[in-house]
Amino acid sequence: MFSKVLSPFLYFNIILLFSFSVSVNSFVEIQIVNIVFYIFFHLTFIYYLFYHYHYSIFCIGFVYGLLLDIFLLNSISAHLLSIIILILIFILMKKYLFLLSPFRISLTIYFTLIITLFSEAFFVFLFNNINFTISKFANYLIISIIIFIPSIFIFNKIDK
Amino acid sequence: MAPRFKVSFFQYSKVFKNTTVISITILSFFLILFSKSDLFLINNIKSISSNIINPATYIISSPIKMASNIVNQYNQFKSLKFENKMLQEEIIRLKKWQTLAIQNSRENRVLKNLLQATDNNLNLVKTASLTNRNDALFSKLININAGYEDKIKINMSAINERGLIGKVVHTHRNNSRILLLTDPNMSVSVKTISDGSFSLLSGLGDDKYLVSSFIKGNKMPKIGDIVVTSGTAQIFPVDLLVGKIAKIKKDRFYVLPFVDFNNIDYVQIVTSE
Repeated sequence: MFSKVLSPFLYFNIILLFSFSVSVNSFVEIQIVNIVFYIFFHLTFIYYLFYHYHYSIFCIGFVYGLLLDIFLLNSISAHLLSIIILILIFILMKKYLFLLSPFRISLTIYFTLIITLFSEAFFVFLFNNINFTISKFANYLIISIIIFIPSIFIFNKIDK
Repeated sequence: MAPRFKVSFFQYSKVFKNTTVISITILSFFLILFSKSDLFLINNIKSISSNIINPATYIISSPIKMASNIVNQYNQFKSLKFENKMLQEEIIRLKKWQTLAIQNSRENRVLKNLLQATDNNLNLVKTASLTNRNDALFSKLININAGYEDKIKINMSAINERGLIGKVVHTHRNNSRILLLTDPNMSVSVKTISDGSFSLLSGLGDDKYLVSSFIKGNKMPKIGDIVVTSGTAQIFPVDLLVGKIAKIKKDRFYVLPFVDFNNIDYVQIVTSE
């Protein structure tokens, strides 16, 4: 449906840009939007990495990681580090991921999302001394569970 | 004659890919390592992101901003009647206070003249409006539409009509970033009005309270005491309103700031004269 008009590459980049823009601008009245789009951005990036890997994703990851750090932390650290490590681990594990069934890949994407969010929070604590509460992580978990299936459905539609 | 060495396109592209990946990885680690330093490259990256990318993200996220405004308007409309009644009561109360304040102000001026005391008046550098905020996820940062062209410098204090908001952490040509009091990495030296005991406050990161990280002489203040900046750290001018002590737990006290950090429209950048 989507792929008839524009290529998936362009769609994913538009989604990444929009979700990034929303997640770095706080909206006082509906603050949950920031968290939702922050998680959605990560999910889109991981899906894009898994299904459309190209070395140019290094540049995309570098730019987004850098900007997320500058806007959300005012110093370059957690996001850039996690994104670069994520891509490097993916390159190492790529050959094993090809053997997995679609369901297992979806599960892998979900767990990668959780691990990425958790590692970012850990790096933020390590580099920027910002504590991470259990309630905040529970919030992340619940939102990611809610948005995961609809997002994957939309991404599949874009890919087909 | 030696045979010509042919490099295929495939080899070229593979070398190019590997070089890109390695150089980006090295650059990333370099930036992370020197991010807290005052490097020209890092300052430039921050300037570009503030001047170009920040406004662009604001435009892209404008549909959500519109939705947020609609929610806000609906909430305001819902509480209009109640708010009106509250405001009427507050006007009556403030009128009484105004009369008293005028009297006190005159008395204060006369007493200062008698004591020949030096004034700690604030020097207003610039009044600026808030352009956007980045305080929902990690650090508590806001952006304002005035920069070093307006003589704003790093570490200047930001206040509004209610009290201290934070300090300037980055300035660019036409915009600056302010770290709010509620950020865990923000620290402000304060004193209580009642007994003048000194302490250090830092943000709790919950958008609500400031918590004491050091109390001079372990002299615990009382609940309800008002805290103001002490001016000892030479960053904030003396006697700026910070907040009220709301609770005391073990060897720490919690301060409720006077400023409503969710409703900041304008900020004033000040220094002490």
